[in-house]
Amino acid sequence: MSPTQHPAEATLVDYAAGTCDAGRTLVIAAHVAACPACRQAVRLAEAVGGVLLGDLEPTPMGAGALDAVLARLDDPLRPDPRPPAQRPDWIAVPPPVLEAARRRKRWAAPGVWVAPITRGPGRRSSYLLRVGAGMAMPRHTHQGVETILVLKGAYEDRGVLYGPGDLAENDETVDHRPQVTREGECVCLVNAEAPLTPLDWVGRLFQPFVGI
Amino acid sequence: MNAIACDIDAWNAPHRPRLLRGVRPQPRAKVNPRKDIAPASGVRHAELIAAVSERADRDAFAELFEHFAPRVKSYMLRLGAAPEAAEELAQEALLTVWRKAASFDPSRAAASTWIFTIARNLHIDALRRTRPPPAEDPADTPAGPATPDALVAAGQDEARLRQAIATLSHEQAEVIRLSFYADQPHAEIAVALGLPLGTVKSRLRLAMGRLRTLLGDQA
Ligand SMILES: [Zn+2]
Repeated sequence: MSPTQHPAEATLVDYAAGTCDAGRTLVIAAHVAACPACRQAVRLAEAVGGVLLGDLEPTPMGAGALDAVLARLDDPLRPDPRPPAQRPDWIAVPPPVLEAARRRKRWAAPGVWVAPITRGPGRRSSYLLRVGAGMAMPRHTHQGVETILVLKGAYEDRGVLYGPGDLAENDETVDHRPQVTREGECVCLVNAEAPLTPLDWVGRLFQPFVGI
Repeated sequence: MNAIACDIDAWNAPHRPRLLRGVRPQPRAKVNPRKDIAPASGVRHAELIAAVSERADRDAFAELFEHFAPRVKSYMLRLGAAPEAAEELAQEALLTVWRKAASFDPSRAAASTWIFTIARNLHIDALRRTRPPPAEDPADTPAGPATPDALVAAGQDEARLRQAIATLSHEQAEVIRLSFYADQPHAEIAVALGLPLGTVKSRLRLAMGRLRTLLGDQA
């Protein structure tokens, strides 16, 4: 089933242009892989990028650059790294996400685990977040944009159900308390430009433990 | 490359040894790399990549290098790379073109699109390089020899898109150009243009929609 909640077109253009930071790129890449419509939009944007590349004012390469590259053409290649196996219960994700899930998972609160993936630049970070069935996140808002993608399970937020592959972009105009559905755990891939801002005492209590 | 940005096939590709050099398919038709035609066209670039793929043609590679490396370098500079890093990434991008030429599929993407995505992926991986990069993208399925028709079609697609971009209003073209080659978040583009952020985003959406319509109309 195709996702129903998509990133903004401007986000897809940034992703295609390579101007998203690494953490955000991970999240968008996993959505795009699961979403035929966004894949098509990204392909168009990449084609635009190719055309515009041809129009860029060339910057002269260093003296001998071509010879240096020609000399390397026959260098032996190291063997391909074996890609980590995808998890059958999640939508497919890029390798760094699977590595984080395997190596850096830590329990943060009852029913909640977090696995950091990238940190920086600045206060940005990306991480995996697992929340147990039926649990609600403490009420919070954001500084900057949070990009959140469901890998497994589902949560409900202000009347919208987000299932596997669905993506939301939340900013400081959003004041919410997402709730995982009763059916089972929900695992999300998140990139945030800044740690979230708790809006109630539960959250203020909760945040230091979770570290997001 | 660690393939964050590329498509799902990349993450799922089974491990396999690379083809040995020297077992490439025999040449099909001769491209004369140095007999240059007017402005390097999309068809020309697709043919050059095919020549690299099918018979490890170094002259064809040199021509690709001379056209694309200085432009990839400009792209890297605009993405905020230091001059030395930009130079290195441009060399790396063209080396990747050589190594992966067999996975270029003109029915999927124009030559310029393909090279653009290689450069972009190198940039993204450079952003998060905290450990030695793995050698190669496990993605790349050899596409098989391209038919001359497919090479021409890829070039035509690119030309149509170029025409479509030329018909955009000045405002729409500008916001697209800034999105790709200014490395500014849309918030800063908005400030630079003296517009609300929402206007920049909706202008971009309209511009992409217009391109979609124009290309659809001609298809
Ligand atoms: Zn989508």
